[in-house]
Amino acid sequence: MLELQNITKKFMKGTPDEATLFDNFCFSVEKGEFVSVVGSNGSGKTTMLNLICGTYRPDGGHIVFEGKDITAMPEHRRAAFIGRVFQDPKAGTCSNLTILENMALADNKNKPFGLGRAVNKKRLDVYRTLLERCDMGMENRLQTKVGALSGGQRQALALVIANMTELKLLILDEHTAALDPKSSERIMELTDRFVKDSGITAIMVTHNLRFAVEYGSRLVMMHQGKAILDKAGEEKKNASVDDLLTVFNSISIELGN
Amino acid sequence: MEDGFMYAILAMGFYITFTILDFPDLSVEGTVLTGGVVCAIMIEAGITPYLAMIAAFLAGCIAGSVTGILHVKLGIRPLLSGILVSTALITVNLVGAVVGNGGSFSGDGALSNVTISRSSPALFRVFPFTLLPETVGQVNLRQLVSFFVIALLVKLLLDAYLKTKSGLLLFATGDNAQFTTMLAKNPGTSKILGLALGNGLAALSGALIAQSRGNANQGMGLGMVVIGIASVIIGLSVFGKLRFMKPTTMVILGSVIYQACLGIASILGVPSAYNKLIMALLFTIALVLSGRLNRKKQEV
Repeated sequence: MLELQNITKKFMKGTPDEATLFDNFCFSVEKGEFVSVVGSNGSGKTTMLNLICGTYRPDGGHIVFEGKDITAMPEHRRAAFIGRVFQDPKAGTCSNLTILENMALADNKNKPFGLGRAVNKKRLDVYRTLLERCDMGMENRLQTKVGALSGGQRQALALVIANMTELKLLILDEHTAALDPKSSERIMELTDRFVKDSGITAIMVTHNLRFAVEYGSRLVMMHQGKAILDKAGEEKKNASVDDLLTVFNSISIELGN
Repeated sequence: MEDGFMYAILAMGFYITFTILDFPDLSVEGTVLTGGVVCAIMIEAGITPYLAMIAAFLAGCIAGSVTGILHVKLGIRPLLSGILVSTALITVNLVGAVVGNGGSFSGDGALSNVTISRSSPALFRVFPFTLLPETVGQVNLRQLVSFFVIALLVKLLLDAYLKTKSGLLLFATGDNAQFTTMLAKNPGTSKILGLALGNGLAALSGALIAQSRGNANQGMGLGMVVIGIASVIIGLSVFGKLRFMKPTTMVILGSVIYQACLGIASILGVPSAYNKLIMALLFTIALVLSGRLNRKKQEV
């Protein structure tokens, strides 16, 4: 469904500090897969997501989505079928708007933003039901400004908002990293439920090895712009955090840490 | 008072660009005069002031879109985009003024002032405002009422617009452009739209100023950014805690308060040459006060 073909990505291009992160990088994701991606800082996980979402353009290669070359498609056009939840809970919602306004905007995604009334009172019950699933008490606080919510609540809202319209691909960019252990557990369970219920294809970057092992149908470890480990099916089911740590440590030793 | 209402429209323009979009828009220094010139020329030509004011608004929208395009499409920083447009508008306004006076543009030394004569159909000299007595005591009642009506009309339209999908998207873009992107909308387009609206209102305000003063001249745009932003900040920080009050109302009241302060200064006998200094001083005070209030809010 998604293919990164021979991707090259350089940073600080044309300066003495030029660094090549991806050199002929190939990666593909099948429909319905839930891929967990782990790897050390600077291994290219987030850059890969940014390339898929269109935040960055590759210096070479093609990105093909459902047989269509989307390499040159701008980020906001790709957002029509790709949803994204960021590490920063503030990034997925608007602080100065109420929960209701945030949801009303998301509800109108992929439709024209014209001069119709923004908030449709008939949809309130739908919004409440969606929020009830998070079990964080947000369903009774529709008029609260999102800025007043906790990080966990905001991230849950961001997750709900990203999933409000039908998506083909969900990108989770270390979306539990900024939360306390309990909230991150909660958000992870919620994510799993969303993904399972809708059967959506998802790519999740995480630093939490346990999440990577417990959730998802495929496990990928990245290192210096390459996928050095890729387990799916039975192999993935049998993977353990210890296995991952062993590989991780061997990389670290290689790097001289 | 009528000064308060005519600048209130300018302030509502800044409410869109400065408060909602978080864009310090300097192009307004030029668009206010553009609005004044367009309106003055049309009124002098005998066109109804309503049409002249709509034309002024549209001229402002065009100028605002240029600022937006410079920033969004060409990646020029907000402050510089505004300075570029306001600088370019100096020429546009000058040429407009000369042509409006029926002269041909020779290059320099041209007369850069469009007068609205006392017999021309300015807003307060047409129906329905002619039904009112011209003055009551010291107050120019027709001007006061007509400007109040226009400010109120703009406020109601703006309130209605900000509740629409397009309006809410402006808030989202100013708050978190990434959010707009994720809604599969180009935040740049939303910014250009907001700047067009903000400058349209600034030009409409300029149209009222020109009618009130009886002319549109090159000095008119000076200090407009300070007047506009100060009114917004005063309005929002004085009345910000009142939940029932709409921000647009706060901004209008802010403008009235700001103009009243200037009025008091002139009553106290401060020479008009000191006006701009007082304006800057008031703006500084407003900025510092609103900063304090914000900090207090965060501490609570």
